[in-house]
Amino acid sequence: MDQPIIRIQNLRKSFGTLTVIDGLNFDVMKGEKLALIGPSGSGKTTILRILMTLEDISGGRIEVCGEPLYHMQRNGAEVPADEAHLHRMRRHIGMVFQHFNLFPHKSVLQNITLAPMLTKGEARAAADRRARDLLDMVGLADKADYMPSQLSGGQKQRVAIARALALQPQIMLFDEVTSALDPELVEEVLEVMKRLAAETDMTMLLVTHEMGFARDFADRVLFFDKGRIVEQGPPAQLFTAPQEDRTKSFLRKIIAAGQRV
Amino acid sequence: MEWDWDFAWSIMPTLLAGFRITLIATALGAVVAAVLGLVFAILRRSANRAVARTTGFVVEFIRGTPLLVQLYFIFYVLPDLGLRLPALTAGVIGMGLHYATYAAEVYRGGIEGVPRGQWEAAKATNLTTRQTWLHVVLPQAVPPMIPAMANYLLAMFKETPLLSAITVLELMNQAKSVANSSYRYVEPMTLVGVMFLVVSLISVVALRWLERRYGRISR
Repeated sequence: MDQPIIRIQNLRKSFGTLTVIDGLNFDVMKGEKLALIGPSGSGKTTILRILMTLEDISGGRIEVCGEPLYHMQRNGAEVPADEAHLHRMRRHIGMVFQHFNLFPHKSVLQNITLAPMLTKGEARAAADRRARDLLDMVGLADKADYMPSQLSGGQKQRVAIARALALQPQIMLFDEVTSALDPELVEEVLEVMKRLAAETDMTMLLVTHEMGFARDFADRVLFFDKGRIVEQGPPAQLFTAPQEDRTKSFLRKIIAAGQRV
Repeated sequence: MEWDWDFAWSIMPTLLAGFRITLIATALGAVVAAVLGLVFAILRRSANRAVARTTGFVVEFIRGTPLLVQLYFIFYVLPDLGLRLPALTAGVIGMGLHYATYAAEVYRGGIEGVPRGQWEAAKATNLTTRQTWLHVVLPQAVPPMIPAMANYLLAMFKETPLLSAITVLELMNQAKSVANSSYRYVEPMTLVGVMFLVVSLISVVALRWLERRYGRISR
């Protein structure tokens, strides 16, 4: 049996007096596509942000690729990770944000090549070549020399996906990547992600409000409420035969709002 | 009151010598302000609360008192405490320190103007702190600062006549001494005004250009 690529044990996170994650446990297997769903404020985005080390943890333990993320060994004892350890661990993980966060002063191509050249010492020619391949994959081969401000939201998000992929992480985190998009631009981004899920064995964690997409995309769906997993299972089971009342009421509200489930 | 061209020409070398000092004082003051301002801005962002608070207090204190008082203090009071500075040095330090507090605000605004998402994207693409500052934050923070910085530079330039109060032989001081010895004020004061105006007008054009070039960055 494979080792899990992500292991979350008794994770706690609070902001001041507000506890958003309280004793969370779950594993993610290598190559698994996971959808995290639940009402806003249920802590699902915080989990992605913690995995990307954008937030500190308040307690518990996380392992990524067999190594502790927020801890490290020093003189035989386990101590809190320093910046160098976090930096080393971050190369396993990439993230795509709700608001794209492209670098506005860099061209589309430079957005993609910047990090590989700086962090992996890739030569410009090689980095350019791979960036163009990635742009081709997300359907934006003709936009390499555009500035981000010249792109639509859907195009920006596809560039952001290419930028994350350029570092070849083993784990990709997608944080509500279509929430900021106009409805007619959502599909082109989901299309890219579907292809990505089908063609690579990358582990993917997806926080989304698009239930229909979660159903098609995920191997396993985790339903969160108040910082805990209420229910989880394969999408067919969780969406058609939910066991827990909270899951049922959440899905009812989603359907009432007009979404396909 | 009549304009005397011959007199005007005869005092030009003296005035130009003063103007040279004015420009030197402005340039040196600007360097002090730019460097000290950055130091203030960084110290104010310090994670150490005591450092940040103390810096904040110093900055507010300097900004809340008149430049002329500060110049007097540096030039006439510090010697009593054992620190005697040449007039120009005292002037440059005084102006530089005063304008550093304004520059610090501009730096702060520029740095805070870079959205948090940019820092996060830099982290998610695994850039180091140094790479983040160099390749992501500063290239976005500096251009919007340029018009405001240029504005303060021009303001400082126009305040250099204050240095005449601490015996710096800049343009205003030279004009005053010419006027006092010849009892003619029209020519020297007019020429002082014209010299400042010429530089100011050129600067305004340059500022407009800078604002167009760097004023806004599209996201």
